Amino acid sequence: MPAYHSSLSAPTKLGNMALLPINTKFKGPSPPGDGGPDIIDEALQYFKANVFFRTYEIKSEADRVLIYITLYITECLKKLQRCTSKEAGKKDMHSLAIANFAIPGEPMFPLNAMYQKATSKAEADSMRSYLTQIRQETGKRLVEKAFDPATDKPSKWWMCFAKRKFMEKSLSAPGQ
Amino acid sequence: MAGRLPACVIDPGTGYTKMGFAGNTEPQFIIPSAIAIKESAKVGEKSQRRLGKGVDDLDFFIGDEAIDKPNYACKYPVRHGIVDDWDLMERFLEQTIFKYLRAEPEDHYFLLTEPPLNTPENREYTAEIMFETFNVPGLYIAVQAVLALAASWTSRQVGERTLTGTVIDSGDGVTHVIPVAEGYVIGSCIKHIPIAGRDITYFVQQLLRERETGIPPEQSLETAKAIKERWGYICPDIAKEFTKYDTDPGKWMKKYDGINAITKKPFSADVGYERFLGPEVFFHPEFSNPDFTTPISETVDIVIQNCPIDVRRPLYKNIVLSGGSTMFRDFGRRLQRDVKRIVDARLKISEELSGGRIKPKPIETQVISHHMQRYAVWFGGSMLASTPEFYQVCHTKADYDEHGPSICRHNPVFGVMS
Repeated sequence: MPAYHSSLSAPTKLGNMALLPINTKFKGPSPPGDGGPDIIDEALQYFKANVFFRTYEIKSEADRVLIYITLYITECLKKLQRCTSKEAGKKDMHSLAIANFAIPGEPMFPLNAMYQKATSKAEADSMRSYLTQIRQETGKRLVEKAFDPATDKPSKWWMCFAKRKFMEKSLSAPGQ
Repeated sequence: MAGRLPACVIDPGTGYTKMGFAGNTEPQFIIPSAIAIKESAKVGEKSQRRLGKGVDDLDFFIGDEAIDKPNYACKYPVRHGIVDDWDLMERFLEQTIFKYLRAEPEDHYFLLTEPPLNTPENREYTAEIMFETFNVPGLYIAVQAVLALAASWTSRQVGERTLTGTVIDSGDGVTHVIPVAEGYVIGSCIKHIPIAGRDITYFVQQLLRERETGIPPEQSLETAKAIKERWGYICPDIAKEFTKYDTDPGKWMKKYDGINAITKKPFSADVGYERFLGPEVFFHPEFSNPDFTTPISETVDIVIQNCPIDVRRPLYKNIVLSGGSTMFRDFGRRLQRDVKRIVDARLKISEELSGGRIKPKPIETQVISHHMQRYAVWFGGSMLASTPEFYQVCHTKADYDEHGPSICRHNPVFGVMS
């Protein structure tokens, strides 16, 4: 039984990432979702299982988005570890989502071997806003899951995965 | 022969030695295969260093007593299943027989076990020790994998008793996949898997360390081992299992209570995902070992595919588990499902390649689990050594005196007819 893959697909692409619909209120290029499970739901559901894998076979364009979200969740967990309450967590997630980050093709991006570079300035811009949209929505949903409602502290059943490295990669630079 | 005393069955493993009398269902003793001796710190040959005065050579301990004995050197004479230090092995057997089994070796036949691919020379050494030091009336050296197959007979019909099958033997240190045809090990096709009980314990320990804070570091290994043994199981699908745990934590999470060995204060730890993630390492070795990624089900398939074509079907049909690390709940079921998937996929491809003209007969895949799994090898030995046939195939003292130790190089297969 190999790692878990996305079951979604989309007609349009950005680079070689699928442009999938997302159920979100954040603005961006992705089409509005139909209310059913979207790629972020999938990534959150498979996160705990997938994060243990050191290799991952990309089977579709949607898988690339799944990989990105999985790595981003790890980043979020690293931040949330230090938060003392859910409110603080929300704030941190918001600032992390819009913080400066690398997009495919830039030297800081860890997965350049698997992701295509944007071909034009316009495509790079929409790629950035697509990823920002994903980051915002992922952070928002993760905060809802990763805090223990009884104590208002981060749940250890999520925080224990912060040190794991999916595919032995990380979105943040080494040492951070 | 009526009135004969039962044979002694001794299974010396790398970690533990299992010993007892034939006909019993459980070994009388399971002791660590360790021996504590006095050894001077001088440089040189080990036989020189062990030379003591007077009766110093009787001054040693084996088993649990040997571990952490002050002023003694604790040694393990068996390495990777094969005897490594014969001098110590001789002394180890001495106490095994006299102190633990409390038997008179002249009155009992003996059945000893050996790992697959043991050398004939090692059998000669064993024979020398048994016949000359202990003066036993008869000796049989059995292959562990074959005994494990025999042990699986308890769970099947009499007509189906066969000595053909694939044995998966997983202990603490290493896992072997051993194909056996008609009682003979197919030595060229054996495969080793560097994932066994200890690796699972380490992985559980790592998961606990990343999450639980209350466990004293010096006790984390035993805590991990206890959790693994008490609550470990194999799940059919890890993503679904995670969802199950998250939606209903009360039902699945457990609590481990321990006592700090130093401060004597109680501590507790929550037990969660490691219950199924630990044993999952067999099926996803990459979780814990970056250099080895082949799942156990794939290794089993590769081993059988390497074997002669005429035994492959019976090998798939009789996959037998043995050893403590195969005791996880549903281990057999998961293995059977995964092997079956690989086999069915291959048949489907060959059907497609033939354009639908050839329809292969489906291959029956069956993994046998039984109650004797933990001591399967010993139990198989106990069973075979209690049959009258055993006394016919044993090498006797008279034969040994006549021909010398070389007769023990070969031990005939028996037990298939019964």
